[in-house]
Amino acid sequence: MIQVQNLTKRYGNQTVVDHISFEVREGEIFGMLGPNGAGKTTTMEMMEGLRDSDEGKIKIAGVDAKKQKKKLKQQIGMQLQSTSLFDYLTVRESIELYASFYPHSQTVEELLVAFDLVEKEKTWVKHLSGGQRQRLAIAIAVVHDPKVIFLDEPTTGLDPAARRSLWDIVLKLREEGRTIFLSTHYMEEAEILCDRIAIMDHGKILALDTPRELIRQLATTSRVEFPLIDRAYDEKFSTLAGVKKVVRLEKNLIQLHTDQLAETLQDLIPLANSYQFPLDGISTRTATLEDVFLEHTGKRLSQ
Amino acid sequence: MMKAYLQLVKAQLLLFARNKNSFIWSLLLPVFMMIALGTLLGGDNEQFALEVSIIDRDNSVSSKELVQALKKAPGVTTVDQSEKNALASLKKNELQMVIVVPRGFGTAMASKTEKAVVTVYQDQGNLSTSKIGTAIVAGTIDEINKKIVNFQPRIDIKEKGISTHQLKYMDFLVPGILALLIMSNNLNGVAAQIASWRERSILRRMQGTPLSSGTFIAGQMTARILINVVQAFVVILIAHFIFGVNVYGSWGTLLFFVLLGTLTFMSIGFIVASLAKTPESASPIAGLISFPMMFIGGIFFPVRQLPDFLQIVVQAIPIGHLTTALRGVMNNGATFATLQVPLWILLTWFIVSFTVAALTFRWDVK
Repeated sequence: MIQVQNLTKRYGNQTVVDHISFEVREGEIFGMLGPNGAGKTTTMEMMEGLRDSDEGKIKIAGVDAKKQKKKLKQQIGMQLQSTSLFDYLTVRESIELYASFYPHSQTVEELLVAFDLVEKEKTWVKHLSGGQRQRLAIAIAVVHDPKVIFLDEPTTGLDPAARRSLWDIVLKLREEGRTIFLSTHYMEEAEILCDRIAIMDHGKILALDTPRELIRQLATTSRVEFPLIDRAYDEKFSTLAGVKKVVRLEKNLIQLHTDQLAETLQDLIPLANSYQFPLDGISTRTATLEDVFLEHTGKRLSQ
Repeated sequence: MMKAYLQLVKAQLLLFARNKNSFIWSLLLPVFMMIALGTLLGGDNEQFALEVSIIDRDNSVSSKELVQALKKAPGVTTVDQSEKNALASLKKNELQMVIVVPRGFGTAMASKTEKAVVTVYQDQGNLSTSKIGTAIVAGTIDEINKKIVNFQPRIDIKEKGISTHQLKYMDFLVPGILALLIMSNNLNGVAAQIASWRERSILRRMQGTPLSSGTFIAGQMTARILINVVQAFVVILIAHFIFGVNVYGSWGTLLFFVLLGTLTFMSIGFIVASLAKTPESASPIAGLISFPMMFIGGIFFPVRQLPDFLQIVVQAIPIGHLTTALRGVMNNGATFATLQVPLWILLTWFIVSFTVAALTFRWDVK
């Protein structure tokens, strides 16, 4: 559905998007996961025809996104990172306004129902909650029934309940057969929503696969974390059973990567006892996308 | 794209009506200004002040009588000086009018066949004061005519005034307020609004649809023209019913200049919004442009009271010409024929600034 080749964008001598290539398949939710400033928004805006790229090719639904912008805009729908709606228009008026920009559009009633905005149709955008506002932004993105939808960090700043309800909406859009390209810096969101994920940092795609496969490719499956200021024992940890890697995280947090969680813990406790350091705040878990990100970039996604 | 155009006009009108700030600043403020200035400066019967020198070359009984009557005319302050000095100060804009009563005036008055004549010198470039001056002289002479002769007018004034009604400060002020309203609504209003829409990505979101910038700008212009015409009308109505201000000229001509002013200042507003480096700087820049224009645009006091070096600036910028045109139409019933200078200068400003606005318009932040 989408083919991107060697896409590059420079601002001055800084390369914000650095020769990235990928494909998005029809009907999938494709996620771009990365921290702020990774180049996600710039990439999306180039794909949406809002920003000119310096190099590379973009093809969306058979349309050359760089040359046939008018045609492209009929095919795609988008929600931008900032709200970008008029504060003093009502929900209904906002939908009607955007519907008028396209030759064909869905009816306002259909959209109000589909995005659970019926009760809010006469409310000014200014007075909507964050979740309602994002639902409206997405309703407007699909007002002309596009095949491809771009969602730029759709749940940033929302509370957990509003985030979940927005996830349901995104999943429903996929059920309708649309292709969805979304950016996020929430690992959980990427894991739940996305069929495939591209991990992006410093303008480059570091890894691209399904969430399950990305995690499976990690060298170890479990993590043990506990706070420890003293760095004297770090070498000893690497000799514990099953431990493949010892990582120092910020806030004096130490992280052990292991394939044999039980054995590692059995070795760790006597060690802590003999050297008199507390294991307060210890936690264990199986590896997640967060760890995939850490592995590829050397830093944590969420801070 | 008719559908999009109509929706954009509708949206802009709704946004304007619902935004309390824009409503207050653009409508209540001019009305408040008018009432405040009108009550403070306008007074009930206080007339527009004209400084006049009267040269009596005849020195007859009847000429002295005329001079006395003119001195007592409302709104006239006389300055006694020689003819040479008087004409010199008229050129320097220190005087608005020099009235010369020629030799033989008394004889002519006494004669049955000859008509007596007075000559009025004034700055033709300043339409409003010259019309007011002429009106006052004409009015005074008319009274004398009626006093000394039963039916036949005995004195004729060489330059006939178009308007014979008495003009008060409010008559002068209201067209100025209209011009101010048009300038601030459009220059400041458009610059601030477009910049804020750009900052909040509203424009970029629209850029992501097939909407063309032409349709967008056309919608903006239409909505703002409607808003300005209604506002101008409301201001004129209030001025009429509270201060007795009248529109002596054609409403069509007045409407034309309101439109021309709206389009000109709106284009300048678009340019400011496009050229401002950051969205936050657009409003201050627009303010920086419009604030001095408030004082040198002949809005609250006549342009002639400004120092010489500013006169060139005043002639070059659009605001003074808009005030002159509106004042001409409202106060003196001026037509396109007599408003050639403001008409062409405003048209030029509009065409140039519209072209620049169209060329520099962009949806997103640089």
